[in-house]
Amino acid sequence: MKKLFISALALAFATTTIAQVDRSKMPEPGPAPKIELGKTESFTLDNGLKVFVVENHKLPKVAYSLSLNIDGILEGDKAGTADLAGDLLSKGTENRTKEEINFGIDYIGARLNTYSMGVYASSLTKHQEKLLDIMADVVKNAKFDEEELEKLRKQYISGLQTEINDPDAIASKVRKALLFGKDHPYGEVVTEETLENITLEDIQEYYSTYFRPNIAYLAVVGDVTVKEVKPLIKKHFGDWEKGEVPNQEFEMPSQPQITEVAFVNRPGAVQSVISVFNTIDLKPGSEDDIPASIANGILGGGFISKLNLNLREENAYTYGARSSINSDKLVGNFYASAKVRNEVTDSALTEMLNELMEMRKGEITQDELTTIKNYRTGTFAYSLENPQTKARFAINIDKYNLPEDYYETYLEKIAAVTLDKVKEVSKEYINPMNGYILVVGNQEEVAEKIKKFSPSGKINFYDPFGNEVEETTLKPAPEGVTAQTVIDQYIEAIGGKKNLDKVKSLKMLMSMNMQGFEIEMNSYFGENGEYLSETSTPMGSSKQVFDGEKAKVESPRGNQMLEGEQLEAMKYEAVIFPELQFFTDKYEVNLKGVDTKADQKVYAVEVVKANGKKQMNYYSVESGLLVLSTQEVETQMGMMTQETHYENYKAVNKVKFPHTYKQNAGPQSMEITVNEVEVNPDLEEGLFKIEE
Amino acid sequence: MKKNLLFALGFAGITALQAQEAKKIDFVEYDLDNGMHVILHEDHSTPIVSVSVLYHVGSKNEDPDRTGFAHFFEHLLFEGSENIERGEFFKIVQGNGGVLNANTSFDRTFYYEVLPSNQLELGLWLESERMLHAKIDQKGVETQRGVVKEELKQRYENTPYGTILPETFAHAYEKHPYQWTPAGSAEYINKASLEEFMEFYEIFYVPNNATLSIAGDIDIKETKKMVEKYFGSIPKGTKEIPRPDIVEPKKTAEVRDTVYDNIQLPAVVMGYHMPAQGEEDFYAVSMLSQLLSQGESSRFQKVVKDEKEKAIAVGAFPLPTEDPGLALMFGITNMGVTADDLEAAMNEEIKRTQEELISEKEFEKLRNQVENDFISGNSSVRGLAENLANYHVYFGDANLINTEIDRYMKVTREDIKEVANKYFKKENRVVLYYLPKGEDKSEKSN
Repeated sequence: MKKLFISALALAFATTTIAQVDRSKMPEPGPAPKIELGKTESFTLDNGLKVFVVENHKLPKVAYSLSLNIDGILEGDKAGTADLAGDLLSKGTENRTKEEINFGIDYIGARLNTYSMGVYASSLTKHQEKLLDIMADVVKNAKFDEEELEKLRKQYISGLQTEINDPDAIASKVRKALLFGKDHPYGEVVTEETLENITLEDIQEYYSTYFRPNIAYLAVVGDVTVKEVKPLIKKHFGDWEKGEVPNQEFEMPSQPQITEVAFVNRPGAVQSVISVFNTIDLKPGSEDDIPASIANGILGGGFISKLNLNLREENAYTYGARSSINSDKLVGNFYASAKVRNEVTDSALTEMLNELMEMRKGEITQDELTTIKNYRTGTFAYSLENPQTKARFAINIDKYNLPEDYYETYLEKIAAVTLDKVKEVSKEYINPMNGYILVVGNQEEVAEKIKKFSPSGKINFYDPFGNEVEETTLKPAPEGVTAQTVIDQYIEAIGGKKNLDKVKSLKMLMSMNMQGFEIEMNSYFGENGEYLSETSTPMGSSKQVFDGEKAKVESPRGNQMLEGEQLEAMKYEAVIFPELQFFTDKYEVNLKGVDTKADQKVYAVEVVKANGKKQMNYYSVESGLLVLSTQEVETQMGMMTQETHYENYKAVNKVKFPHTYKQNAGPQSMEITVNEVEVNPDLEEGLFKIEE
Repeated sequence: MKKNLLFALGFAGITALQAQEAKKIDFVEYDLDNGMHVILHEDHSTPIVSVSVLYHVGSKNEDPDRTGFAHFFEHLLFEGSENIERGEFFKIVQGNGGVLNANTSFDRTFYYEVLPSNQLELGLWLESERMLHAKIDQKGVETQRGVVKEELKQRYENTPYGTILPETFAHAYEKHPYQWTPAGSAEYINKASLEEFMEFYEIFYVPNNATLSIAGDIDIKETKKMVEKYFGSIPKGTKEIPRPDIVEPKKTAEVRDTVYDNIQLPAVVMGYHMPAQGEEDFYAVSMLSQLLSQGESSRFQKVVKDEKEKAIAVGAFPLPTEDPGLALMFGITNMGVTADDLEAAMNEEIKRTQEELISEKEFEKLRNQVENDFISGNSSVRGLAENLANYHVYFGDANLINTEIDRYMKVTREDIKEVANKYFKKENRVVLYYLPKGEDKSEKSN
């Protein structure tokens, strides 16, 4: 139990009041300072390279940041090519060895980072000529080497190993695979196989296709002047050759019709990474972009957001809960996430979903809106302390075709967001009903508890690379345990074969409560394999009857003789103790292993009937009793897993029968109480008679 | 509070400083009558101000059976005050356009707000409320107890290699309170009581144990008036402020152990005992660590990672601390490489620094790197305010923000070789192997 209790007795640390200041009032702010964005100079070289210069003379430093304007590249079975190419850029050029590049950079105390979509270099301004010399050489004249590729490939594959245990890496990878699909550049997953497929030619091809000035931006930020850097840039990048760059088109990834619950097992985990997400169609700079980011601010954008106040400050489930709404040219996304301890994984998900639904319902106050607007206004000014921000603004304007004054009027746009607009965008973009719930955590301790969030009753399991896998709490059964021993143990547990054989016929009177209505259900099993099931509700009664050969259904909607598959199914229904027949040709029975179900260790036994219908039976390792069976059933919402829990075993004539059945399929659940079991009862003459 | 404990492994050994060619950082400093030290730096380039308070108390001031207390307490000081309702602290700051956070290290606890510059007075009010009459109720304690425990899980238990710092310090120290890290243990976090917090507050959260450091778009004269208004009448602490004077005994034998973790690739961790920050040898050890691991041309990156392919990541970081601390080294093995292999490769590079004098050229490189790092460390007003406070508290000289580089520049090539021999020796270190849990032979796997 949570140790939360409110003590009325708050202990104050000191009670001295200070005379001259009125501390009870929050100080008033002074006049608002003017926020100057300043001008970002820009020019374009003949080869198409767009250059932006932000002067900032606070420190004698300069940073050159080159970025390629690429929406996304689908790499397929060679996923990882661009990443490898980016890393290999700094491993040698036509003019320099790797050692010369590395020492050259370190010697001037500089930094050089190369990556798939660009190069970042910074140093003290006094070293900038040397820095640019190396940077431009890398950009224009990279030379790729087989040995370096192999080295890096090995490191990448090792790196994947470290990610297998990193909950954040797993969550991010699987989230992307689910959201965007593996056929979208945003959803591709790099694996050992795809890395093995990459050749030096692929690397070369990537570099010569995409490292072109006509799709590149160069941001120069720091203690320099435009006048000073323009000739430098012309000198170093003027001869960079432009090229034809292909532009791939991608389809909008499809989303699930109902919420999918996904799980990645991380054995031994003490926390679950929980997340809820969906794709959105929200373009940068579009009308909804700023209102959506405001809505996200209220929901999960910071410490005082709804999610954090609830999951952290109210419930202490987590160190922090956040959400984000990301606009994007191709496909954007919404997601909310938190890391919570195992025991409260389901409670935390419930609260998270509640907050999302509240947002959708428009439960947002003017006060919340005002607070977040002030916060965003203040942090806008704060972000300008880093001169890179201004360069980023200038590049965004070009990249996303934003109006020239987009950032100059940014604060006005924030101020103009209304409560109604926030409600509208919340409903539009926060959409878990057509999204995913993902939990990365300890399957043994957590998975069962989150089933209830799945409308289909099913959890899909994934490996850390986003591949769907079979549910894996299953462990091999100990030596000596077989399907036969499990079933023998079960038969022994409910009374032994001798006593079971004495049960020739059976009467079971059952009831359940559904939406306030009492429903009665009675089953009768005859001596010759007959079967009758009666259901009576306030709306009418129905029955299914099987006379050993023929079967019929009678209901207020009409009567029908059962044939074919349905008749076959009835034959199986009519068996009192199916386990007694498991090792005949009517069934095929396989022991799958030991699992954890219904809070206990169970033997998982697959039962396949001769008609091909499959179900899983779970027998308690400890008591031997059947505690759960599951099967796939067809419903209006598609295929679903139906679970039947067997509880409350009580002996009648030395044979134990479950006296409570709990059944659920998706959101539907019901509890059936067995009121009376009679063994070898006097059954009414002609009870199983069928009139055609 | 959110980004706590100062303890990402990337935390570089060099505190930010100033180089010869950079502009001098001007500041004024003085004491209030109640003993609080004030440092003010004026910079109008962005209309923001950073208001910060450093309390000279960290995990080394804790009782051994209350580890994690200082950090837990830091969480509680966001709960409110006589005039700030529970939960309002964050709302007030963010609702007025500011950001805030705090962190706790071995040696001190640091709180800050960065606000629009017209909200300077608000920042002073908040921090003075926190110092004068913070208020915490039982619900706040229980909630933050839960939050802190989740923080520990997230940072340590549930993160691969996450326990490296606590494990290394626990193995390295027998007597000194650095044997536990600011994170502390969940066991003691469970035991901390409201009464104990009150006592801690009365001893350590007093003006004579605090440094108020403000940097940004301010007017010095006006700011001084406001500081006096909000802090001047806060009474001086009446209790003696205890400072641990425990000296860790000199090490005579290497400490070695294995930690089994939820990982796939083995890792090697080494911790060498080294001098406290500010000691003459500290600067040489710091440059020696740079020689080993800063930049692709460094010894570890070039030889261990690239040429010998023993590691996918490797580094050396001296952790600057008020009392003698540790120079940490860390490597994650490449595919098919054992921890032994990796350790041997790292040892060989350490040995080279002990036997060979480094070249002039390589030495020049280290000096250039030092210069670059100094200048980069003062790029934000928040960082600047913190650096000024650190220099004052740890060294009694805030002006080291302009001059500490001279101490680095005094280091010679010979000094680097000498400290390699003096400190980076086997009997002076801890070596931990991090191995995948499945390889633990001591308990049978199921």
